[in-house]
Amino acid sequence: MLRVLFMLAWRNLWRNHRRTFIMLAAIGTGVWAMIFMTALTRGMVDQMISDGIKEMPGHVQMHNPEFRDDPSVNNLIALDDAELAARFEDAEFKAWASRVRVPAIVTSERDSRGVTLLGIDPVSEREMSFVNYDDVAGRFLESSDDKGIVIGEKLAEILETEIGKRIVIMSQDPDNEIADRGLRVVGLFTASTSATEETYVFMGKKTAQKMLGIEGATTEVVFLGDDYRNVDPLYDAVVGKVDGNVEISRWYDVNTYLGTMMGVMDGFVLIWVIVIFLALSFGLVNTLVMAVFERIREIGLMLALGMKPGSILGQIVIESMLLLAIGLTIGNVLAVITILPLQNGIDISIVADGMEMMGAASMLYPALYANDMILANAVVLILGFLASLSPAWRASRYEPVEAISKV
Amino acid sequence: MTAVSCIDLCKTYRQGDQDIKALDHVSIDIQEGGFVCLSAPSGGGKTTLLNAIGGLDIPDSGQVIVAGTRIDNMSKGDLADLRLRQIGFVFQAYNLIPVLTAQENVEFVMQVQGMAANKRRDRSFAILKEVGLEGLEGRRPAEMSGGQQQRVAVARAIASRPALVLADEPTANLDSKTAGELMELFKMLNELHGTTFVIATHDQRVMTFAKRLIRMLDGQIVEDIDQRAA
Amino acid sequence: MSIVLRLAWRNLWRQPRRTWLTTGAMVFSNVLLVFMMSFQFGMYDLMIENTLKIFTGHVQVQAPGYLDDKKMRQTVADIVPLADSLRTGLKSNKVAARGITFALASSEERSYGIMIYGVEPGFEPEVSTVPGLIIEGEYFSGIAAAEIVVGSVLARNLKVGLGDEITLLGSGVDGSFAAAVATVKGIFESGVVDLDRNIAEIPLQFFDDTFYMQGAGHQISIFAADLNDVGDLQIDVQKMLPAGSNLVVPDWNLLQPGVRQAIQADMSSAFFMYFVLVILVSFSVLNTQLMSVLERTHEFGIVMALGLRPGRLGRLVLIETALMGLMGMLLGMLAGAVVTLWVAQVGFSIPGMDEMAVQFNLPATMHPSLTLFSLTTGPAVVFVFTILAACYPALRMHWQKPVEAMRAV
Ligand SMILES: Nc1ncnc2c1ncn2[C@@H]1O[C@H](COP(=O)(O)OP(=O)(O)O)[C@@H](O)[C@H]1O
Ligand SMILES: [Mg+2]
Repeated sequence: MLRVLFMLAWRNLWRNHRRTFIMLAAIGTGVWAMIFMTALTRGMVDQMISDGIKEMPGHVQMHNPEFRDDPSVNNLIALDDAELAARFEDAEFKAWASRVRVPAIVTSERDSRGVTLLGIDPVSEREMSFVNYDDVAGRFLESSDDKGIVIGEKLAEILETEIGKRIVIMSQDPDNEIADRGLRVVGLFTASTSATEETYVFMGKKTAQKMLGIEGATTEVVFLGDDYRNVDPLYDAVVGKVDGNVEISRWYDVNTYLGTMMGVMDGFVLIWVIVIFLALSFGLVNTLVMAVFERIREIGLMLALGMKPGSILGQIVIESMLLLAIGLTIGNVLAVITILPLQNGIDISIVADGMEMMGAASMLYPALYANDMILANAVVLILGFLASLSPAWRASRYEPVEAISKV
Repeated sequence: MTAVSCIDLCKTYRQGDQDIKALDHVSIDIQEGGFVCLSAPSGGGKTTLLNAIGGLDIPDSGQVIVAGTRIDNMSKGDLADLRLRQIGFVFQAYNLIPVLTAQENVEFVMQVQGMAANKRRDRSFAILKEVGLEGLEGRRPAEMSGGQQQRVAVARAIASRPALVLADEPTANLDSKTAGELMELFKMLNELHGTTFVIATHDQRVMTFAKRLIRMLDGQIVEDIDQRAA
Repeated sequence: MSIVLRLAWRNLWRQPRRTWLTTGAMVFSNVLLVFMMSFQFGMYDLMIENTLKIFTGHVQVQAPGYLDDKKMRQTVADIVPLADSLRTGLKSNKVAARGITFALASSEERSYGIMIYGVEPGFEPEVSTVPGLIIEGEYFSGIAAAEIVVGSVLARNLKVGLGDEITLLGSGVDGSFAAAVATVKGIFESGVVDLDRNIAEIPLQFFDDTFYMQGAGHQISIFAADLNDVGDLQIDVQKMLPAGSNLVVPDWNLLQPGVRQAIQADMSSAFFMYFVLVILVSFSVLNTQLMSVLERTHEFGIVMALGLRPGRLGRLVLIETALMGLMGMLLGMLAGAVVTLWVAQVGFSIPGMDEMAVQFNLPATMHPSLTLFSLTTGPAVVFVFTILAACYPALRMHWQKPVEAMRAV
């Protein structure tokens, strides 16, 4: 029975091939636009989030509860380095590191700037850092006691300094005495935005601790998990290992802008897909109404011959679903073949500053997710099914006698 | 045995501000294996009567009994089943489903009935041969003449072996030679399979083929002639 | 009404459901277009205004190179007299001079590196929203007062309140060590954490004394009466600069390239979406008109056989489409305007949007602003595409032979 319905639906679909082709073109375009646009925005947001997470870095962070509001050397983490190591050394985190993160000022002979000083252990941070150690001009820090400083290229430009020159870094110690020290610039890093290059300077953790007079203490511990979309297991693991007066935050607690971006993005995808579908639905319903209208007499005949109204309804719905399925296939294929060549990134550096304002980089890497494709296809099929019910229902409600005598 | 019996059927239509009695206390009995012509001028009530017998329409009053079952009080779904299993239809025109081939059209009812594919296939081949359409099985309606199309319709009507075949002016769109051939076909099938035929027509020449001729006028039966004697 | 129009109109209503569905597609897109564009352009204006009002202004006077490097010694000499003369020349008070540097701000308990803005207390409120955001205390008492106004987060972090002292440590314009002590006079709160955490203002003369500016400053921020007058303002200011000076007058596009570009990026994605909508509507119209022509092949065959030129039939089809398009346009504009005005009344916010809004200096609840442009552009484009879509069905008439047409059912 279902086979008859499929056969009838399929053949009817190609009876008015022009109409079917136009509808396929419309559905194909619509679905292509859904997926293409989604992949671009997803790509942008993904990049923003992964850059943002790298800059933090880590998926989960630990601070003194006061620190995020008042990022001062006074708000040290209650656990010192030895104790942290004891707790986390054998934990199965992908990576973790404790660091000194304090606001500071760097001064060259020419100028001075406010920066964020990061006193790090370069070995333990290698995997999480937004800096690729091997791409650093000069060299990156080699150990916690490294006596050099690594700054961004943009900052070097502003300070008119270069590798080998000395700059002075200045901050406060816990007693609010000025803590300062001259260091030789040993490396210059580049980042995806110039703001990042201007903001961060890297020192060896022990060097920084010594300068600030907080030997053994840190202000931040960062933890890397496997998937930034699913940080709860990592969060729980960290929470399970500490006690006392610390605050543990997920990346989206630390950077709420990025956190909401992710949610807003999901909402945007859904709205966009639905809007496109609605624009398509008028044409779809129109086509079905036409198809039913043209075939009133046949429908009457089938009813007269004893076909159940349900089968008539099924036949129209199947026709609609076939149309949508072909249109979806076209749209999906189009989307894939237009997105694949763009995998290496689209250069949008003409609006780089604008993208920076949004927190995005100037290369756009479209991100085609199975989930987004499934969502688009499912929305089209489900809503398409609902939209075809009304014309199909009407078709099935004809009185055979009247339908047959319609000219 | 009685194939169809109608008892005191009435059906009134409203046209504008006047009531038209399409069926006015009609009672008839049709025996199994009958070959009945229902003859009336246009508007005489033929279609209304056939529709009532075929369960396509429900009379205002009276009873319709087909193959021993009362059908005037059946639900729509049961009526659809009745049509599917007990009754074959041939209409004046547009009998066939345009997207299906001759053979698929013949198989349509059997397929909806749920008959096995090979059985269907054998039967449809045999019947198309019987109606003289051997070799045209794969043609679509648009590729056949009016007479051929009506033959396919007849083949479909009898293919599922219904108790009763109702034909509403099956020759109206055919030239007289083709019309004669179609009537010969009906008659042959009636004799071969014993299927009961009720054929509505206002074509004088068609009536001569009937074993029994019922004349109607303005919704009433005015004459009921047994033509076998003649 | 001419006979052709009447004919076209009647033809349209032969299949009312189809006509309504096609019109519906137009109305749907038009409502979306009107609303989105009203929303979008209203948002852009706000984004520009709000961003520029914080500090930037419409144009600035700066030393060459300052824009890129923001170095302490890239100064505008004799900045206060220059600002005065600009005020006189432009007959506007929306002109204020500033000196800007980084310094370490220390309280009793804490030290933070922050940006120090030296401002003219009399004129700064004319060009910046910051003085108006003071939640505690007040703005400066004079241009030389040793006073400081800090952001609320900074005040909290430094653990200072009104009347407390803050020590500023930095370097002077000549690279020498600079230090001063200022009393907290006011605390402002903008809601933008970065601003509230990183910025403090002091009077310009005090700034000058502290950092050895010797009358120089870094920028003069100027507002035009209207965003559209910025070009003229730029030229006027340029003319008023002292003869032989090499000062530059960048406008806000240069000063805040991010705003313009964020708008451009947003616009290109928005226009992609609009374009897709318009294309989908066009397909809908193409489909409908092709069907309506195909249905009437027989009918058209007869009139062509009677001697009517195919061109006139084609025109009939176009007129039918135009009528339908006009309906879609007018209803769409009406519905779009109603929706937009209603949302403009009640405001519009998406959950989570406040976080995003802050990033672009926008309020959390937005109000679309209906303008002639936002009302008409989308519907007009949809109309044009509607007519374009009907061209194929209309032109088909030309290669249709009457005999064949008449044979069609
Ligand atoms: N659906 C209907 N509505 C109104 N009047 C009808 C309807 N169907 C049939 N009639 C009227 O009933 C009468 C009988 O019609 P019908 O049975 O179709 O006659 P025949 O088939 O003999 O030409 C005619 O007068 C016809 O106009
Ligand atoms: Mg009749």
